[in-house]
Amino acid sequence: MMWIKHGKIFDPIEYALPNGCMEFAQSPQALVFDSFVRIYFSTRAVDTNGKYLSHIAYVDMDLNLHDIIQVSNEAVIPLGGLGSFDEHGIFPINVVRYRGTIYGYTCGWNRRVSVSVDTAIGLTISRDEGLTFQRIGDGPVLSCSLHEPYLVGDAFVKVIDDEFHMWYIFGTAWKRYAPDAAPERTYKIGHATSANGVDWKKEEGCQIIPDRLGPDESQALPTVIGIDGRYYMFFCYRESYDFRQAIGRGYRIGHAWSDDLVNWTRDDEIFPLEGTPGSWDSDMQCYPHVFECNGKVYLLYNGNDFGRNGFGLAELLI
Amino acid sequence: MFCWEKLGKSFTPQEVSGRPWLNEFAQAPSTLLFDDFVRVYFSCRPPADSNGQYVSYSAYVDLDRHDLFKVRRVAHQPILTLGALGEFDEFGTYPVSVIREGDRVRAYYAGWTRCASVPFNVAIGVAISTDGGNIFKKLGNGPVLGYTPDEPFVISGPKVRRFNGEWQLFYIAGRKWKFVDGRPEPVYKIRMATSEDGIRWKKLNRDLIPSRIEEDEAQASPDVFYANGKYHMFFCYRFSTGFRSKKKGYRIGYASSTDLVNWERDDTRAGIDVSSQGWDSEMVSYPHIFELDGKTYMLYLGNQVGRHGFGLAMLSGRLE
Repeated sequence: MMWIKHGKIFDPIEYALPNGCMEFAQSPQALVFDSFVRIYFSTRAVDTNGKYLSHIAYVDMDLNLHDIIQVSNEAVIPLGGLGSFDEHGIFPINVVRYRGTIYGYTCGWNRRVSVSVDTAIGLTISRDEGLTFQRIGDGPVLSCSLHEPYLVGDAFVKVIDDEFHMWYIFGTAWKRYAPDAAPERTYKIGHATSANGVDWKKEEGCQIIPDRLGPDESQALPTVIGIDGRYYMFFCYRESYDFRQAIGRGYRIGHAWSDDLVNWTRDDEIFPLEGTPGSWDSDMQCYPHVFECNGKVYLLYNGNDFGRNGFGLAELLI
Repeated sequence: MFCWEKLGKSFTPQEVSGRPWLNEFAQAPSTLLFDDFVRVYFSCRPPADSNGQYVSYSAYVDLDRHDLFKVRRVAHQPILTLGALGEFDEFGTYPVSVIREGDRVRAYYAGWTRCASVPFNVAIGVAISTDGGNIFKKLGNGPVLGYTPDEPFVISGPKVRRFNGEWQLFYIAGRKWKFVDGRPEPVYKIRMATSEDGIRWKKLNRDLIPSRIEEDEAQASPDVFYANGKYHMFFCYRFSTGFRSKKKGYRIGYASSTDLVNWERDDTRAGIDVSSQGWDSEMVSYPHIFELDGKTYMLYLGNQVGRHGFGLAMLSGRLE
């Protein structure tokens, strides 16, 4: 198997976005319809304190994943209320069709004092084909617990044999790498299951994908697809500090496979997705989302600068 | 009918010396009985930092079993450490509720973190003591009871019980944050969860006690005690605004139940109110009931929610 890169397919700068958002189209995630593909992403507004607020928007694309039909001009989900887990942003959202509705698993952000942020996973449901989503409650469905103390987020949900599976991330450290530096976070990929998509049972503090870079590796945004009886997971990983600018320390795409959804073998090398020198994804590849459309397997992902300038597409040649 | 005969203030944190972390406050008393003394766990604070912000610790005072106004010893150090950077209990472990489990003692406590848009958030942690209740070791560095769709924030005030071979946790959950005099204040209600092992909890997901004085009434300290074939809950409640005053501050309420789940509130039966003067003349709050040598006692807080310590009252009449 190998990736064929189709380049950048969406640039947020070229469109008017809801909520006064200007840049960023992060963590693209697809909902496939008969005649188009709706791709959700997180974009950003700036609040009165000069800080970012992430909002969900979408772009509808032709099944060729090249032509843009429309971009959402209304809010898809309002941010959470005062003191709620998703008050300061939703990034990302993962969408799953279930019994005639669409479940949207959100990663909500709220600002802290001693560290910059905490996150938790909420559930929203759409009954209008994904135009808008409503929360099932003001609180999260998956959040910190005994052995996952903070930073629970980045859900990817799949219903397999009537059971909901969620791959997500949980924080394992907040650490200062220099005495006067801001604390940086480390997170790993975990797994939870559910009978109804609402009440979840975590494996609880169990990292399912081994580190490649050692304990300071941060792993994010798992996405899973089954092909011919084998499950393939893609995710992104990076060093936990000095990862924003330094070459070689930022996000790139990792891969693992499993035949039983329990044991995962990490193998980043068998079909790597490499950046193209001098182009939009030359220095960073992150926030992958794998999906099937018209019999093909695609990967949406962000490139340089965490998706400030949009997202691109690759196709898996099987 | 019953009422509580006030015996006076039994512990004053300002009288303790040599413990900078125990400067003032002795909040949310909770007892553990020993052969010759009664250990009262409480929560206290060092002086506020340069921004006027507090952290809170939990500790204990041992009172003589035969004279509950005689202090035998005070903890030399907090019973729990504060959490590490970014953890849910980084800025406080308050309050605490303890229960014996064989030769170990288990503590449920509320951990405090600081937020940007609201002053704090709270979740409930669990810790175990293997030295008879002096020092407690956390079972994990995250909470054992956290946030869920219907209980989005401020999960606090645990009171652990074991009735009928099952674990019960009575606690409070935040309903909303409300701006009061320009400052966000949480509205919270009494809730309950049950468990077979004290670790995996199943929330009941509804308010146990209907609000009485206003819709945004804040309820706290759900202390459940079994006597004479019924469960009795003493708790405290206050208005959502102006609650630092005598008029709208904490009072002690009462409810009873035969099944722990359905409660009938009747505050007229609480049997305790503010005094006309003295340390508990403006508010009474955070009740804790315990039985000792054939008598039933209530520990409770007075003015400024325990800044100057807690007091003791004795039951007169029968809880029924």
